[in-house]
This record gives sequence, structure tokens and C-alpha cells, in this order.
Amino acid sequence: MMALADFARMEGAQPRWLRAVGRFLPVVIALGLWEAVVDFGLVNREFLPSFSETFAALWHMAQSGEVWLNLFVSLYRALIGLMIGSFFGLGIGFLMATSERADRFFGPLVATTYSLPKASLVPLFILWFGIGDVTDIVIVVLACLLPVIVSTYHGVKAVPPILIWSARAMGTPERALLWRVLFPASLGSILTGVRIALSFCFVLTISAEMIAAKTGIGKLIFIYGENGAYAFMFGGLMAVVIVAYAADRGLVAAMHHILRWDDSIHSVTAYD
Amino acid sequence: MSGIAIANLNKVYKSRTGKVPALIDINLDIGDGEFVSVIGPSGCGKSTLLYILGGFIAADGGSVLVDGKQVNGPGTDRGIVFQEYALFPWLTVEQNIHYGLEMLGTPRRERDEIVRNLIHTVNLEGFEHRFPRELSGGMKQRVAIARTLAYNPHILLLDEPFGALDSQTRESMQDELLRLWLKERKTVVLVTHDVDEAVYLSERVVVMSKRPGRVVEEFKIAVDREGGREATVLSEAFTRLRNEVWLSVRRQVGGASNRDEMAGR
Repeated sequence: MMALADFARMEGAQPRWLRAVGRFLPVVIALGLWEAVVDFGLVNREFLPSFSETFAALWHMAQSGEVWLNLFVSLYRALIGLMIGSFFGLGIGFLMATSERADRFFGPLVATTYSLPKASLVPLFILWFGIGDVTDIVIVVLACLLPVIVSTYHGVKAVPPILIWSARAMGTPERALLWRVLFPASLGSILTGVRIALSFCFVLTISAEMIAAKTGIGKLIFIYGENGAYAFMFGGLMAVVIVAYAADRGLVAAMHHILRWDDSIHSVTAYD
Repeated sequence: MSGIAIANLNKVYKSRTGKVPALIDINLDIGDGEFVSVIGPSGCGKSTLLYILGGFIAADGGSVLVDGKQVNGPGTDRGIVFQEYALFPWLTVEQNIHYGLEMLGTPRRERDEIVRNLIHTVNLEGFEHRFPRELSGGMKQRVAIARTLAYNPHILLLDEPFGALDSQTRESMQDELLRLWLKERKTVVLVTHDVDEAVYLSERVVVMSKRPGRVVEEFKIAVDREGGREATVLSEAFTRLRNEVWLSVRRQVGGASNRDEMAGR
């Protein structure tokens, strides 16, 4: 029996479900510990609701519809922000990588704003745009812009000159180089930037909503926290974690398909 | 005037420590349909010469005429094959071969037929829809050659195209190239550091000095190639010419500051 199990492992022949369980095992252990420390009274229930209470709260919110509506609003803000940010990030990154003048102009701006915590701009944007979608989305756009700019820039800069030479040798007009060579050759790097931006877009949506929104899952978490309904607060958080994780998995699956020609994609996993 | 005419060509690379001459006063005429190999110690500038012919880098003096016209950029009259293949990894085998024809604006149906024939010629049937990462080095190089032949340039510039292949694959690729040249009589400029390869394939071998590269010697290779590889390689004429070229290259390497540069390859 043992030998058979060893053999199966060697051949990588474990059934899919077993591998899936193995992957989630650490999460299951962490959730079990969470439940245990509360149930055994190691942590005061007042300060930390148990996993089962949190899950029950989330279940309740799901049934009342409260969580869906707010999730929908937050998802809308996050994804619109991600799309706008990625679009401009791509454009600016390409400009910087292909034009020295653009590099000199945007380079210092990117370098100085890269480490700026974007959430700190929320109060200013409330002043400019008021409370609601615009402020939230602008914050998300800013946060998504930078990783996409940087990854696009580096991706384009790293395109092997020999690929550009062979494209030119085969009669590619200069203006077609961008679309035929530079873009596909840097796509792996660009999508890695978009993946970072994807995680940022959820973080920033939730942070912005806490201060600058009347709706959204961030606002919901904030209100429950203010009122001391910690199980519900954690329930909202749990919903965000689930959605963000699913989105990341979806993007990685898409990357695996889009970049199936790329050697390096095969080391990119959904849970690293 | 057709063919390639290189006159008083110079090339200088600028580095942090100053200017490094790469090519000095190169004069070389290559006739239409001629197969010429350029051989020399590594770092002698032979690839630089090829890149100048290709129009990828500019010369710092002298002139390069292709069919009577000054070279000032890449063109589809000159097809290049790089040692590193330089295939587009995001395109399949078939799409890579299609690329040049697409750029030329060849109609779809005509393109399909050319590509199908080429895939047959380079023996890649069944691999049309694979990506380059799924191919061996020899197969990648065959795709690289096929995609260059596809748009039918009348000059082929080959930059150590078989350098990265194992010896069996290299020999069969050389035979394919020879067969193709005997059939189509394109002008071929082959850069290599392999003496046997140069003598086996070309009508003329040009030996370059160590850096900065100059043309030091030329050999006319009068060898009958119709009898196949064995007959050619075992012939007395081949052996004699091979030895002459080998000694000539060796003299260049021998004078190099780093004696082991060639031995290490």
C-alpha cells in the first residue's frame, strides 16, 4: 500500500481533489486554530468572534441580500478602477519605454509617487470629488496605474533586440512593431503588473469606501466595526477575501491560457 | 550591378573606455548567386559585418551596395537567420512562417500554399500548430530558415545558424542548405567559426583577422558537390582546401592575445 502511494506521488498521479485538499490544508488548519483559540477561551470572544460565528454572520448577510448588493457596488468600483488604471498604465509604460522624452518626463513622477500610500489621498479627493463613486474609483485608478506602468516599462525594455531586428528584416513597418512585436513580447510582464494591480484594487476600494462612500463592502465593514458587531465585520471581510481570491485565480487561469507559448508562465501558480 | 559590393568599410564601437575598432577597411565583392563564408576567430567582427549587410547597424565609413543600392536599413531583399533563431515565441510554427508574407501583403490563399510547401521542405509536418518552446533546437532553426525563405529574399545572411546544434543535426541541416542553394542559387553569406562547414558549403571562404577584423585571405573552393557529403568530404580537393583554411584561421587565432579563445569552443 505504501509503495503504491509513493509511486502515485512520484508519477504526480494524485487525483485532482486530493491535490486541491492539500493546497487548502494550511487554510483549513488556520481556520481550525482560529475556532479553537476562541472556543477554548484563550482569546476573549468580545474581541475576536470565532470562525463559526463569523461564517454564520456572513451566511445571514448573504441571505438578507445585504452582502451581495454591497459586494456588487465594490466590485464595480474596483474593476472599473482597475481597467482605467491598467489602460493608462499600459499607455504611459509604452510611451516611457519607447520615447526618451516621455521617460524623462514620467520617470521622476513615477519614482516619487510609487511609494506614496494612495489611501492617504482620500481626504483630499473627498474635498475635490465628494463622497461616492468618483473618489473611490480615482483612488483605485491611481493605485493600479503604477504597477502597470512599471511592469509595462520593464517588459518593453526587456524585449530582445534580435526580435525587433527580425521583425524589421521581414518588412514590419515601424508603426506596426508596437502591435506585432513589442506588445506580445512584453505581455507576460504586463499581465504580472495587472495581477499586482488586481490585488491593489480591492485593498484600495475597501479603504476608500470606509471613509468616502455611503455604500460598498468597505462601508459595511466599517459600520459593523463602529457598532461593535465584530462577527458581521469579519463576515464582510471574509466576503472580500473570497472575492479577491477568486478574481486572482481567474486572472492566473487567463494568464496561463494567454501566455501558453511562454516558458516562464508555467512557474506562475494561483497560490504563490 | 547585382550582388553585394563592400568597399572600405569601417566600424567602431563606442564603449566606456573609448572607441574600439571592430572592422577595418573591409573590401569584399560577392557575386549574384554566390555562396560565400566568412570565418575568423570569435570576436573578429564577422557578425558585425553581417549585421551591417542586413542594415541593422550602421557602418562608420565606406559603402555597402546591394544590387547597386546603398544599404540604409533592413529590407526584404535580404533574409537573415540568427544563431539564436529569434522566432516569435507567441506565434505557432505556421504563423511564424506566415509572418513575412503577411507583411508583404501576399493574398491568404497564396500564402497558405507557400507555407505548406515550406513546412514540407523543412520536414516539420505535424508541428504546424506548435509554439517554438515546444520544439528542439534543430526544429527551431528549421522554422527560422523556413520563415526567411517564405518571403523569398534573393540574398540569405546566415549568422552561425547551426552553431547551437548537435553535430548530427548540424550536418543534415548543412545538407539541406546545400541542396536548397544548388536548386535556387540564392546569394548566401554565411558567418561561421566552423572550418569544415565553411569549406563544405561555400564557393569562396573569406578569412578574417582577430579584432579589429580585416580580410586577410580568401580561398576559392573548387569542390564537386554533386556527389553527396561523403564523396565531397573524402575527396582530396576538400581535404587540401580544408587544411589550408584551417591553417589560415589558426594563424589568426595564434596571434590572439587570448590563445585559448578558439580552443575553448
